[in-house]
Amino acid sequence: MNEQLRAISELDRVIHEPGRLMIVALLAAVKECDFLYLLRETEMNKGNLSSHLARLEEAGYVEIEKTYRGKVPMTLLRLTRAGRRAFEEYRQGLKAAF
Amino acid sequence: MGMGMMFLGFALLNHLQAVLPKDSMWRHGFANLLLFFGGVLLMLGLILWISKAIKKHITWPRTGYVAFRRGGKYYWKAIAVASIGGAGSVCLIVLAMRHDAMSLVGAVYLAMLVGAYAIFIYRFSREHPWKWLVLLFMVLGLFAMTLIFPGKMVESWQPAMFFVGLTWLVSGVATLYLYLRHTQPPAPEAE
Repeated sequence: MNEQLRAISELDRVIHEPGRLMIVALLAAVKECDFLYLLRETEMNKGNLSSHLARLEEAGYVEIEKTYRGKVPMTLLRLTRAGRRAFEEYRQGLKAAF
Repeated sequence: MGMGMMFLGFALLNHLQAVLPKDSMWRHGFANLLLFFGGVLLMLGLILWISKAIKKHITWPRTGYVAFRRGGKYYWKAIAVASIGGAGSVCLIVLAMRHDAMSLVGAVYLAMLVGAYAIFIYRFSREHPWKWLVLLFMVLGLFAMTLIFPGKMVESWQPAMFFVGLTWLVSGVATLYLYLRHTQPPAPEAE
C-alpha cells in the first residue's frame, strides 16, 4: 500500500464522519460553547447532534457539562486535550493523504 | 453599539468640560483629571453592563453561548496595538502643540475613527454589506462638517465626535434589530 493510501486508511473514523467532523472543527475553534450554539451552526436536529456528541464523549474527545444559567438548564461542550490532539492528527493525516 | 456609546460619551465629556465656567475647579488640575477618568470609567462600566445584559437576555437564548479561544498571542497583540496607538497619539499631540496645529490632530483622529469603522466592518460585519453605506454616510457627514466649519477643526471636533458616535450607535442598533427579526429562540423541548 502506498503512503497516501495508508494515510487515508489510518484516519480517525470517530472524527471522519461528516457530522462529527463539523462538531469537532467548531469546538476546536472555541474554548467552549453550549448545545444551542452547535445546533444553530451545524443545522442538525437535536437527536442527531446528541448522538454524535455521545459518540465523541465516549471516545474521550468531548467534555459535556450540564449546568444552569440562572434557572435555565445549559449544556456546555468543549474539546478535551485528547480531542484537540486527535483533531490535529486527523488534519495532518488528511494533508498527508492529499 | 459599544463603540458608538464610547464616542458619544467622549463628546459629552468634551462638551461638559467646555461649558463649565472658566474658574470652575473641574476645569483644572486633579479635579479635571478626576472628571475625565471618572467619566471614562463610568462609560466603560455602562458599556460592559449593557453588552453583558444583551448577551444574557437576547443572544444566548436565541443563538447560543460561545466563548472563543484567546491565547497569549491575542493579548500581546492587543497590548502592542494599544501601546503603539497611545504613544503615537501622545507624539502627535506634543508635535501639534509645539507647532500650534491642533487642527491636524483633530483631522488625524477623525480619519482614524473612520478607518476603525471600516476595519470593524471588514473584520466582523461582512454579512451586513449595507454598513459600507453607513461608512460612506459617515465620511460625507464629516466632509460636510469641514464645509460648515472651514479651517476650524478644533471647534468642529465636538460635533464631529458626536456625529461619528451617533452614526456608529445607530448602525449597531440597526444590526441588533435585524438580528432580532431574523432569529427566534428555539421551542422548549428536552435536549
